Amino acid sequence: MDIGLIINNLVHPPVLFFFLGMIASFCKSDLKIPDPLPKLFSLYLLLAIGFHGGVELRKTGINQEVIFSLSAGILMAIIVPIYTFFILKIKLDAYNAAAIAATYGSISAVTFITAVTFLQTLGLEPGGYMVAALALMESPAIVIGIILARLFAPNNKEGNHFSWGMVMKEAFLNGSVLLISGSLLIGLASGEEGWDTLKPFTKDIFKGMLSFFLLDMGLLAAKRIGDLRSAGFFLPPFAILVPVLNACVGIFIAKLIHLQPENALVFSVLCASASYIAVPAAMRLSLPEANPSLFVPMALAITFPFNIIVGIPLYYYLILRTDQWIPLFWK
Amino acid sequence: MKRVVKVEIITDALEVENIIKLLEEVGVSGYSVIKDVTGKGHRGVRSGYAFSDLFKNSYILVVGEENQMHKVVEAIKPIIKKFGGLCIVSDVILRIHRGDD
Repeated sequence: MDIGLIINNLVHPPVLFFFLGMIASFCKSDLKIPDPLPKLFSLYLLLAIGFHGGVELRKTGINQEVIFSLSAGILMAIIVPIYTFFILKIKLDAYNAAAIAATYGSISAVTFITAVTFLQTLGLEPGGYMVAALALMESPAIVIGIILARLFAPNNKEGNHFSWGMVMKEAFLNGSVLLISGSLLIGLASGEEGWDTLKPFTKDIFKGMLSFFLLDMGLLAAKRIGDLRSAGFFLPPFAILVPVLNACVGIFIAKLIHLQPENALVFSVLCASASYIAVPAAMRLSLPEANPSLFVPMALAITFPFNIIVGIPLYYYLILRTDQWIPLFWK
Repeated sequence: MKRVVKVEIITDALEVENIIKLLEEVGVSGYSVIKDVTGKGHRGVRSGYAFSDLFKNSYILVVGEENQMHKVVEAIKPIIKKFGGLCIVSDVILRIHRGDD
């Protein structure tokens, strides 16, 4: 393993700010980001990354690689919750297994953004269409999770009224999906000229905003890790091993469809990441029997830090190595 | 001075709009809401979430005649059953109210 990749990632300012947040929380410092700001930072990041993706997509256009990547993204968003559900079902009831499976089938936009900035430090830029993959991969896992729960859970309890309409609205029209898709379309429509107009906002301050956001994520992750005390010995290792498994499946698919290493990395990061915004909101409505004290801290306090600290350089290393292994395998 | 029934509801903050809609359907003419209520209960610590109103509770207070408050309790029961929370009913005396003589 190239340790240089991990070190390069660790000294990246946004990642260091994440550590600072965690340390502040562990030391019981009074450091706190006022309540509405983390939401503002997350909206800013979605807007900026969506807009940039749209501008880049306009440059490259829609070709075979774009279609294959988007189709592969949707496929992964469907199959990941299915196989993770059956792994989880060994130890958990169907409600919690389905909610956690949906969490790991969906994606984390900030992990994606951190992977993009990791590539930028190496002088690489992924294709803008990967932002479209991000938007497309957020919702299918929610629907699959609900279907699995309804197939495998006991009949709904009295008073638990279920509305597919409300769930679909939450899955496909939730704020983060809408903002990133809308920003992508705005970037696509306005192109290079629009990019120049918004550049001071969408590019120049981007890494500063990401650093501030990750500082808050560090505070939040450290605070939430205590929630997993009652989770037993099964879920914490799951929150690391399954993302690595998902990333490996993602890398394999990326190789099959001949993605460039930078696009393969963001694709595998999307496969490996777990949702802590869209899925909890949808699960509250559709599977209130599932315990959010399990799936939120798993995604936020274990998988997210693991991915941004170790996962991203690890997956990139695997992508570069498989370039050497796969020709041998095919022979 | 008037004897009335007080209903206090603590439940998921995201359900407040639905509860207010139900109160209005039952014909309740007034209510009070405290939006952010933190605490611990069946669903663990409820202290909010940075990205949305998830994991946050709200408090709703409503007073009225016994029959009407009974309808309120029946109407909100499915929400409490689904999203958690509690509903407290008590007999109280309404001492001062601008609308009464």
